[in-house]
Amino acid sequence: MERELCLSVCVIQLWMESATRKLQGDTRAASLLQLKGEGGGLVVLLHDAASRETRKRSSERPAHRGDRGIIIMSAIRKQLSFQILLLFISCRNINTKTLGATAPPLDPTAPLQKLERSYVLKGDSHTEKVELLNPVSLVLMCTWTGSQNKPTNITGFWSKDGKEIENSRVTVQLENKQYNLKRTFSIASEADLGSYSCDFGGEAKINFVLAVPQMGDERDKPIVSYLGDSVVVPCKLDDSKPTPNTWNWYRANETGKEQIIAGQKFSIKNDEKKTKLVIHDLTADDSGLYYCGAVYGVGITMGRVELKVISFFEPLKPFIAILVEVIILVAAILLYEKSRSKKDYTAAGNGATDQTNTLSSGENNGPEESSSMRQRKV
Amino acid sequence: MSPAPADPLEYKPLDGGWGWMVVIGAHISIGFAYATPKVLSIFFNEIQQDLGSSFSEIALISSIMLAAMYAGGPVSSAMVNRFGSRPIVMLGGLLCGVSMITASFGTSIIYLYFCIGVIGGCGLSLNLNASLIIISKYFLKRRPLANGLAMAGSPVFLCVLAPFNQYLLVNFGWRGSLLILGGLMLHCCVAGALMRPVPLPCKPPSYALEKTVEEQPNSGNTKLKKRFVKNAKKFLDFSLFKDRGFVIYLIGSIMFIFGAYAPIVFLSAYAKSQGVEEYSAAYLLSIMGFVDMFVRPGTGLIANSKLVRPRIQYFFSFALVFNGTCHLLCPLIKSYAFLVVYAVFFGIGFGMVFALIFECLMDLMGSQRFPRAVGLVTIIECFPMLLGPPAAGNYTLIMHSTYTDINQSKSAKHSSVNIEHALVLCS
Repeated sequence: MERELCLSVCVIQLWMESATRKLQGDTRAASLLQLKGEGGGLVVLLHDAASRETRKRSSERPAHRGDRGIIIMSAIRKQLSFQILLLFISCRNINTKTLGATAPPLDPTAPLQKLERSYVLKGDSHTEKVELLNPVSLVLMCTWTGSQNKPTNITGFWSKDGKEIENSRVTVQLENKQYNLKRTFSIASEADLGSYSCDFGGEAKINFVLAVPQMGDERDKPIVSYLGDSVVVPCKLDDSKPTPNTWNWYRANETGKEQIIAGQKFSIKNDEKKTKLVIHDLTADDSGLYYCGAVYGVGITMGRVELKVISFFEPLKPFIAILVEVIILVAAILLYEKSRSKKDYTAAGNGATDQTNTLSSGENNGPEESSSMRQRKV
Repeated sequence: MSPAPADPLEYKPLDGGWGWMVVIGAHISIGFAYATPKVLSIFFNEIQQDLGSSFSEIALISSIMLAAMYAGGPVSSAMVNRFGSRPIVMLGGLLCGVSMITASFGTSIIYLYFCIGVIGGCGLSLNLNASLIIISKYFLKRRPLANGLAMAGSPVFLCVLAPFNQYLLVNFGWRGSLLILGGLMLHCCVAGALMRPVPLPCKPPSYALEKTVEEQPNSGNTKLKKRFVKNAKKFLDFSLFKDRGFVIYLIGSIMFIFGAYAPIVFLSAYAKSQGVEEYSAAYLLSIMGFVDMFVRPGTGLIANSKLVRPRIQYFFSFALVFNGTCHLLCPLIKSYAFLVVYAVFFGIGFGMVFALIFECLMDLMGSQRFPRAVGLVTIIECFPMLLGPPAAGNYTLIMHSTYTDINQSKSAKHSSVNIEHALVLCS
């Protein structure tokens, strides 16, 4: 309901914008704006009825009905497009907040799967991790063996994320030298996940941390690629984790995460526990953080990858420096040798006799040296 | 045991002076030759993601490079004999540089196989053999030391290039890194420039060249092909097999190489299976490399001493036994501290063997036959080197055994090599 309201607001605002532009004599204002909201998809097609000269490279798009991608034309004058963009972003943020996962909405009448988790506490406190995939009806049971003095009755209560749940205070009686607390929770969406604690009179506490299976170790080094090239951004779940329903990819921008829709620029290949985002025709704007989300019934677990796009001149500069250095060194060595051989040549006439003398003495020493060296002789 | 034919040294090897610059050149050249196939594996993950191929397809790049490097041995030796070391090393450096630069533009795995594997491998093979041959020409008295210093290039470049490649990868991605690496490999041209040709006396030293001089007045176009084939046959010289020492060396070296690289490949996996964390396990290999860096020149120095030089083959055998026993003791090691000690001893053993492996061949064959011998040895070594680690891997699969059993089998091979070498000494 909220979403429809927002969309209609957007439409009205845009019409008003285009109207004012026309009044101002702007011949390049948007002439048609079409909104189509379908369960999970938002299609905006902007036609430029007028000029074409400011059209950028990848922006020309004929109208396609049923096209689920958001295609923003850059043929519109920058000011107008910027304003429209702002409106879209604000609309979309509301969308993502209320929608949560892009999984189909839950059928409220279907019975939830039942799951039970319990823990027997002997000390002061304990934290237990509970991995959830799908919406469940979760029964948490806490048992406490009590402290030194065991009063017959203590007050126990439940809290979520540190805040006490209303009407959860009960009087717990000592049964078989133990205190028991039990409560059923309905975990239906991501908002229901968190840390649930059962508290025994402020003395003992058991925390149950409910979460979707977490992504493994993330790579902290960015993926580096080049302008105009295409890059593959991978994301992988540990083999021990269960297979998600699907994968989503998000791009970080100023106001949070923006979902990436497959199209000409992006293509997404999902394969059970792995996913790949292929980005074509890289530009400098494509640098930044990308998030892959593994969608489970009850929430999304995020992984993070950083992409860095650099121009080819960056490695080229050190390469040229090295090339110049190599050429200089080779030239230096060869020139040094030439100059030395010239010196030897001029001195050769004088020292010819000396050279032959050293040669013959060397040969005389030869047989004597061979006894100490391991050089085979016939 | 028939002794090697007389080595009429028409010129007295320099044994110093410019020879040390040649050693620096050989150090750079050999360093790139041995280190590059290993450090390229740092890029494989990224390349695999971008080109969308499987890991075994990518790992084949390294294998093709190694295979080309070793298989090109005879050709390299032939060319060095014809043209001298300097132009060959410069050509090798140029080929390596070009291979990396063109590979940085690659879009398919076959393209990378050709660029890095074939062209790069050929470049490296030219580098390797030419460097070894020029050392044998420049040094005689101090040859073990020169060999030790030159072979030390391998661990030095490995230790330097590995973190450097990581840095490049993070900052420039794999394409930029290959480009810059190509530029670095052009330094082999600098190494080549250092390898001043040995001033030969007027008489051509090798009888093969003599024959070409005789035939030249008679040869027309028809005889050109025959002469080329004859020369080619001379450098894949099967007459070397008549030398018992050479055959024993060859057999021993095949068995050693078959087992030598398996421990390196499996060391970190073994450490992890013993409960060591991943970062510390990788650290073991760098310890080994670091120790290796100092052991090689040290071994060269020891081998050069008056006491050891006449008995250098014994020393080589000792190094092999040391290596073998080191691996035999490995299964007894359980804790990380002892693994570090093992890595240190492994480094010592490995360094000693590799410092001496070509020195012993030079010693056996003499400076005249060494080029042909080294060509033959490298092309034959190609097979055990490629088959060794995968065979060890299959062994684990078949026997469901751990790294420890592999170690025992490999060290058994090493010990047998030692016995072989003891036979060599009886000449």
